[in-house]
Amino acid sequence: MRILAYLAKRLIFVIPQLLGIVLVSFLLVKSIPGDPAVLMLGPTATPSAIASLRQQLGLDQPLYMQFLIYVRNLLHGDLGTSWQTTRPVLEDLLQRFPATLELVTLSLLLAIVVGVTLGVYAARKPNGWVARLADLYGLSAGALPDFWFALVLIFIFYTVLGWAPAPLGRIDMIVIPPLPVTGALTIDALLAGDLQAFWSACAHLVLPVLTLGLLNAGPILKMTQATMEKMLESDFSRFEVLCGVPQNLVVRHALRNALPSIVTIISVLYGFLIGGAVLVEIVFSWGGAGQYAVQGVLNSDIYPVLGFVLFSAIFSLIVYIAVDLIYFLLDPRISN
Amino acid sequence: MSLGAAEVISNTRNASAGGDKPPLIDIRNLRVTFPSGGAEPKAVLKGIDLAVQPGEIVGLVGESGAGKTTLARSILGLPPSPGRIAGGEVHFEGRQILSLSESELRRLRGRRLSVVVPNPRAELNPLLKVGDQIASMAKIHLGVAGKEARRMALEILREVQIPDPERRMDAYPHELSGGMAQRVVIAMALICSPAFVISDDATSGLDVTVQAQILALLAKLAAEHGSAMLFISRDVGITAHFCDRIAVLFSGEIVEIAPREPLFLEPAHPYTLMLLAAFSHSPKLRDSWTVPDTDRRRERSAGCQYADRCPIAQPVCRTLRPPLAEIGPGHFVRCYFPVRHA
Ligand SMILES: Nc1ncnc2c1ncn2[C@@H]1O[C@H](COP(=O)(O)OP(=O)(O)O)[C@@H](O)[C@H]1O
Ligand code: SF4
Ligand SMILES: [Mg+2]
Repeated sequence: MRILAYLAKRLIFVIPQLLGIVLVSFLLVKSIPGDPAVLMLGPTATPSAIASLRQQLGLDQPLYMQFLIYVRNLLHGDLGTSWQTTRPVLEDLLQRFPATLELVTLSLLLAIVVGVTLGVYAARKPNGWVARLADLYGLSAGALPDFWFALVLIFIFYTVLGWAPAPLGRIDMIVIPPLPVTGALTIDALLAGDLQAFWSACAHLVLPVLTLGLLNAGPILKMTQATMEKMLESDFSRFEVLCGVPQNLVVRHALRNALPSIVTIISVLYGFLIGGAVLVEIVFSWGGAGQYAVQGVLNSDIYPVLGFVLFSAIFSLIVYIAVDLIYFLLDPRISN
Repeated sequence: MSLGAAEVISNTRNASAGGDKPPLIDIRNLRVTFPSGGAEPKAVLKGIDLAVQPGEIVGLVGESGAGKTTLARSILGLPPSPGRIAGGEVHFEGRQILSLSESELRRLRGRRLSVVVPNPRAELNPLLKVGDQIASMAKIHLGVAGKEARRMALEILREVQIPDPERRMDAYPHELSGGMAQRVVIAMALICSPAFVISDDATSGLDVTVQAQILALLAKLAAEHGSAMLFISRDVGITAHFCDRIAVLFSGEIVEIAPREPLFLEPAHPYTLMLLAAFSHSPKLRDSWTVPDTDRRRERSAGCQYADRCPIAQPVCRTLRPPLAEIGPGHFVRCYFPVRHA
């Protein structure tokens, strides 16, 4: 019951939250120098042609009017058109956002497996070699730039060893992509029963997922290690040891108590990576949403940028609501 | 002049009720240190000798900081961190348990030797139902299956007289009152019918009437389950109710140990006297009774630990550690000038 009341309250705030995000990003994007009309028409355009295009685009209107028009269009499901792709932003994003989401989600899963496992082992023996390895790992994972790490992996596994496919997109050129259903190639390939497409998509995922997964395991590792050390030193863990509970079980119980903190850091990373994966997307020509938004910023193509911000904001809100629901499930002290 | 350790041990063992039976648990010259800033670690238990007979209830009283919790946990091989067992032996059911491997020790804890802790709401796992926590003791130590373990858990919850035990099985620790949580911890300690239960200041922090009920229950259940008990408390008065023998701990040393009547009627150590006097005059002192920090910090390396506070201290007291000497049947005192009662 508490969950439903909570959800209702949360949903009431979603609309104003989104509106605020759209307003702020609108103002920010508008403050980027560069006139889209000039860029669209090229260096040979006449001033009158530029003026008429500005009018057509609504750029001659005062800023607040431009904003109101944008919001009105949003309500009709119109996110504007990208002048670079000449396609509606919604269509572009529906294709590209799942590409980013697939990459980021799989990377995060890898980061969770690596980070939580190492973190738990490091916490079990705070002075052991795993703990020392974990310290080193946390330091280096935080210090390496992701695009550089991606290039190193490409050099080793594509250029030298030839194990990985060329870093040119999500699937081999000669493989016909499966019919888009979810937008995630691996899932769509499985849905279509197309194993060739599935393996090709997987092969292309390996290096970018390794890059993002291994580097982002750092914060998860640190959080797991710190929280687990605290939990293993807490009164209830000590009491379990005094009661003769086997160490594995003590650790499992401590991990359950540490989960809320770990879930929090994971959710923060998830939201961050949607935009934060952009350099890796560029290195692998991923064609993801972050890459799309950056192209927009560089070319005064504002609707892709705004669309991306809106998609990311909605995604983050969904993640945070999911996280709160997980807290409810994990901790009886909240749900009662 | 001073007694050798071996003599003291044999004397202490004779002091046990029914002296000719072998003791259930025999703690010999147990020493625990904590690392201190300096080179020399701080001695917190300075050679504890204590033997308990099967079924016997021994009280251990001492002010906060005397080393009671350290003793309770060290007997189970787990001194509070960063403490370390620096020497001594604990013989229990034919084995020297301080030399056992971690996994052998683990199988003893909770099954043959268990502990009741104070502040139980912090000691229970906040995410697990209390019924499951109690049942897991039976599952882990007795190897019974889930359903049987739950049946045993419910039965022991009835025994500890928790109101509405069926419903409490599914309660989480935060849903229990302090008194109920204490009963749950007692249930966990007793479900495997251990041979020896250590109750470490178990009811401090609870309402006085609840304290009395729970202690009476603890003593009754220990007897029913055939468990001997080391009953640790700051309150000497409460030990009078159900302890067969009482030991007085001061600054990591047992300064007096005697069967109940001699201890209360003919206390011989100046510290015990002070203790009894303080309690008989002011029950309020029970809760707040601690020594000022300056007194506690002063560590004596030689002589009597109590010399700085003792009203009848003599020069000899400050130079040589007094031995634990027998002044009556089973009545031992660590003092050069024990108080004599006419
Ligand atoms: N973490 C610690 N570090 C250093 N010394 C400690 C620590 N914990 C306890 N001690 C020392 O051990 C002594 C005994 O503590 P404890 O066994 O908890 O006493 P009690 O249970 O009788 O109140 C204290 O006086 C203190 O000096
Ligand atoms: S030995 Fe001396 S100082 Fe210690 S208690 Fe006895 S009389 Fe007091
Ligand atoms: Mg204590």
